[in-house]
Amino acid sequence: MDNFVYYRPKTAEAAVGLLDAKWGTAELLAGGTDLVSLQKQYIARPKKVISLSQVQGLDQIEQSRGWPMTFKIGAGVKLATLAASSALRGSAAALAQAAEEIAGPQIRNMATLGGSLCQRNRCWYFRDEQSPCLLKGGDKCFALDGENRYHAIFTQGRKCVIASPSTVATPLMVLGAIAQVLSPKGKREIPLAEFFKAPTGPEDREHVLAPDEMLLSVSFSIASDKVKSASYEVRQKLSSDWPLVQASVAFELDGGTAKNVRIALGHVAPVPMLSAEAAKAIEGKPINEETAAAAGEAATSGAKPLSQNGYKVRLLAVAVKRALLTAAGAKKYWEV
Amino acid sequence: MATKWPENRRVIGTNVPRLDGPEKSTGKAKYSYDINRPGMVYGVIVRCPHAHAKIKSIDTSAAEKMPGFRALHLIAREGTELYYAGEDVLAVAADTEEHALDVARAVKVEYEVLPFQVKESDALENDRKTLAPLGPRRERDNLRPPQTQESDEFADGMKNAEVTVTGTYGMPVISHQCLEAHGLVAEWGADGGLTVWASTQAVVGTADALARHFNTVHKMDMAGKVKCITHYMGGGFGSKFGPDVQGIACAELALKAKAPVKLMLDRASEITTAGNRPSAYGKVTIGGKKDGTITAFEADTWGTPGTGAARTVGPLPYVYLFQHKVKHTVIRLNLGNQRAMRAPGHPQSCFFTDCALDDFAAKIGMDPMQVRLRNIPPDDVNAKNTDPLSYPAMRGTLYKKQIEIAAQLSGWANKWHPPGKGGDGPIKHGIGMALHTWGGFAAGPNDVTVTISSDGTVLVQTSTQDLGTAQRTVNAIVVAEILGLEPKDITVQIGENPFGRSGGSGGSTTCPSQAPASLLAAVKARDEMFAVIAKKLNAKVEDLSITKGKVVDKASGNEYEWKKACALLGTSRPRGVGTWSGAEAAKQANAGLSKGGVGGVQVAEVLVDTETGVVRCKQIVAVQDCGLIINKLACESQVAGGVIMGLNYALFEELIADRATGRIVNPDMEFYKLGGINDMPKIIVHMIDMPERGVIGIGEPPTISTHAAIGNAIFNALGVRVPETPFTPDRVLAALAKGAK
Repeated sequence: MDNFVYYRPKTAEAAVGLLDAKWGTAELLAGGTDLVSLQKQYIARPKKVISLSQVQGLDQIEQSRGWPMTFKIGAGVKLATLAASSALRGSAAALAQAAEEIAGPQIRNMATLGGSLCQRNRCWYFRDEQSPCLLKGGDKCFALDGENRYHAIFTQGRKCVIASPSTVATPLMVLGAIAQVLSPKGKREIPLAEFFKAPTGPEDREHVLAPDEMLLSVSFSIASDKVKSASYEVRQKLSSDWPLVQASVAFELDGGTAKNVRIALGHVAPVPMLSAEAAKAIEGKPINEETAAAAGEAATSGAKPLSQNGYKVRLLAVAVKRALLTAAGAKKYWEV
Repeated sequence: MATKWPENRRVIGTNVPRLDGPEKSTGKAKYSYDINRPGMVYGVIVRCPHAHAKIKSIDTSAAEKMPGFRALHLIAREGTELYYAGEDVLAVAADTEEHALDVARAVKVEYEVLPFQVKESDALENDRKTLAPLGPRRERDNLRPPQTQESDEFADGMKNAEVTVTGTYGMPVISHQCLEAHGLVAEWGADGGLTVWASTQAVVGTADALARHFNTVHKMDMAGKVKCITHYMGGGFGSKFGPDVQGIACAELALKAKAPVKLMLDRASEITTAGNRPSAYGKVTIGGKKDGTITAFEADTWGTPGTGAARTVGPLPYVYLFQHKVKHTVIRLNLGNQRAMRAPGHPQSCFFTDCALDDFAAKIGMDPMQVRLRNIPPDDVNAKNTDPLSYPAMRGTLYKKQIEIAAQLSGWANKWHPPGKGGDGPIKHGIGMALHTWGGFAAGPNDVTVTISSDGTVLVQTSTQDLGTAQRTVNAIVVAEILGLEPKDITVQIGENPFGRSGGSGGSTTCPSQAPASLLAAVKARDEMFAVIAKKLNAKVEDLSITKGKVVDKASGNEYEWKKACALLGTSRPRGVGTWSGAEAAKQANAGLSKGGVGGVQVAEVLVDTETGVVRCKQIVAVQDCGLIINKLACESQVAGGVIMGLNYALFEELIADRATGRIVNPDMEFYKLGGINDMPKIIVHMIDMPERGVIGIGEPPTISTHAAIGNAIFNALGVRVPETPFTPDRVLAALAKGAK
């Protein structure tokens, strides 16, 4: 990796004060599970690496008592902590379930919520220094007609067909989370549903943060104990593997029917995406294998897979179906 | 009288935990990667990023001015043509690993980029002739002339078939993925000698090859002056014979830098340059009778050995002796050269034969286990007379027994169902099996020295290496058996070429070479000890013997505790050297010490999620023979390890080359997938002990049939064949969709 100057600021304000006005020259270091490998591969070549290890207060989960129950989760909270939180498991299961499945124990013990939301994509062309793809200033996306079995299936109008890498993005989106962000100009809030962006060049990231902005926390509110949520990912391996597709769902289960349904899809498009079609398909209906399957089919509408990843369309329908059934507490017919 | 294995074995064949287990599990064991020498610098190799290119120019002027630069060694030159992405161009050394990487990046190499092909199907469609000139006619053709073979009565066999079934099967190029990458530390001594701490499966071969290089290229006299040390190494699987490009480069850098150099490959280089298992694809037709008798086998196969030109399949048909017609086409591609990989050619051949056999069984509506029992080759009558301990003499009996044991352990009778009847829900159950065979004969020569000291200590020295097979423990068990001791009482030193001759650990030859050599050495040392102490005990040599912990004088009935007996040695150091080799093993008088030729049967059980195409392997039963078992625990561990490797072939492993860039897109452990602990099935190992045959190696056989057994289990679950490994969700769903049409 290139040489860099290492900073360990004590406050978030000091950390953003060290960031630059353009991408690439300064990087925030949280768990290091992504940045360090990007540096070793000369994909990230910062002059400044700003460690967040000394910044106080980023690793807290705040939770209100009673309904509605509000959670505020610091960007520095470890994925292992999210997975183990009994409060989240009880009231925001989609998030705990998603965190629990990420990578392996070593990664979960280091990686943070903020890092997971802000990480770079896993496209193998992007991560190969020798392949000058769009995101590295080149003029083509190699995956479009190359090796694309793990890439996006919602590709309409996309110049770069990465699959969104964050597995905690989709549960936070269905829980209606809001991101708290700090820059030298002050704080602002961004709904998670508007937090992600499809990068198309070297001046882009997978999110909308400005180069001198930093994610502080995400917060969301659970209206009542009628709110049910779940995440389901299809993965090839049980040990340390990326999801092939992932779905998160949240809804209020009232009198046996689902209301205010939100369904988000991960690892299938350059951004994690809310599926209005899938939500509409099951809104106001009881959740059973038939209705869940119909919502799964609806989630695939608009999918335009690449040469090698048509199978992910089928997997997505299944992931949505199984997430809905899990949230509703139905029998997990796939576990035998 | 020729030495034999003891009739009553106290230690041999028992469960002995590996002697160096604590060292390996606590980090006390030093692997090549862990060796750090005073003043050591670091080597890095500059590699060609293109799949095919000619070097126009190499400019190292900026690199040589970089901080910490110490040495440079050219591997390729201006004008050199390079044939795959990752091929070595030059090596540099610098004072830190980080500086070495910076120096390497400062080297400017200009390339003329040339056409390449990295996909078998592309070359079959349009051979662009992108590889090195080959043979007397200097052909650049990527497609080599097909090799064909036909048995005398093949045509009749096909004619007599009542049913024929044709299927296509295949498996991609995969990587050895040694956990410890290839590499070494090289250090020149003041006396002009070279010491290397190399991660190798051929200690002697590596030392010899380095000596040859410096003899030839530098006209140095290196006879007896190269020492290779491999006390521990982290996996080879056939990819670590000899010093390799990086070994020569590292020693050259050390010579130029006048400092020890460490050069270990990074993961991407390990995967792209240090070992490819060749791919194999093909169409197989089986013809047979409705009663399950197979009358003919036809296979048209092809595969790539990368830049090499060797066949990519082993014997076909595999295990069985069907009338056959086989054709094989080698497709050279711009990928790293193939290297031997754990039973070279056999997993490929097993897959073509055993999967096709299940498809035939399905067509005639028979249990595939019954089809196998009907077709396993019978014991060879001639061999029964000339060499009754040979594999041909017993193969029919052996496989029948192994299949019966596998059936019982797996519960086959209750679990097998017709293909596609794996349950009503979307999760389907399946069970499948496959057979394998291998040699495992002694090779060599291998020297083992046993020295007994007056304080009772016993030292065993041999140059061989431990690939992870618990080799030290093998030597200790055999010597302990003869000297009445426990394995932990024996000090074993391995992995240094001055300890004598030894072959590379390939072909499952190490245990059958080392165990007899250890036996001979221990017997000689014991007899020499008897000769010394007999006088002092007023006993006759022929009256002395050893029981557990004691030397016994038959005449007087006196017993002497081991240490007390050794104390009588005074300044004597009884020493025995035992040597074993393929030639020794072949001598009639030596029959029974080592042999070769094994069978094996594996049964796999899977659950297939038909909605997602995800396969989970739940259980593997592995039945394996290996002659006389030296260490039952290590044998079972070896078989379990083979099964795990085979499971990874089946479900996860694939080296993915990109048609557009010519580069491997997954040279990592992220998208080059390997199963973790949660992906492992229950593994039931059953060893068949056949002490009368002597020792046979089983490094390779237990990994051969696993993927075919899993493939057949998936077929049993779904009723449709998933033709190619790895059995990923996309391939399973595609097969289901095709089957539904």
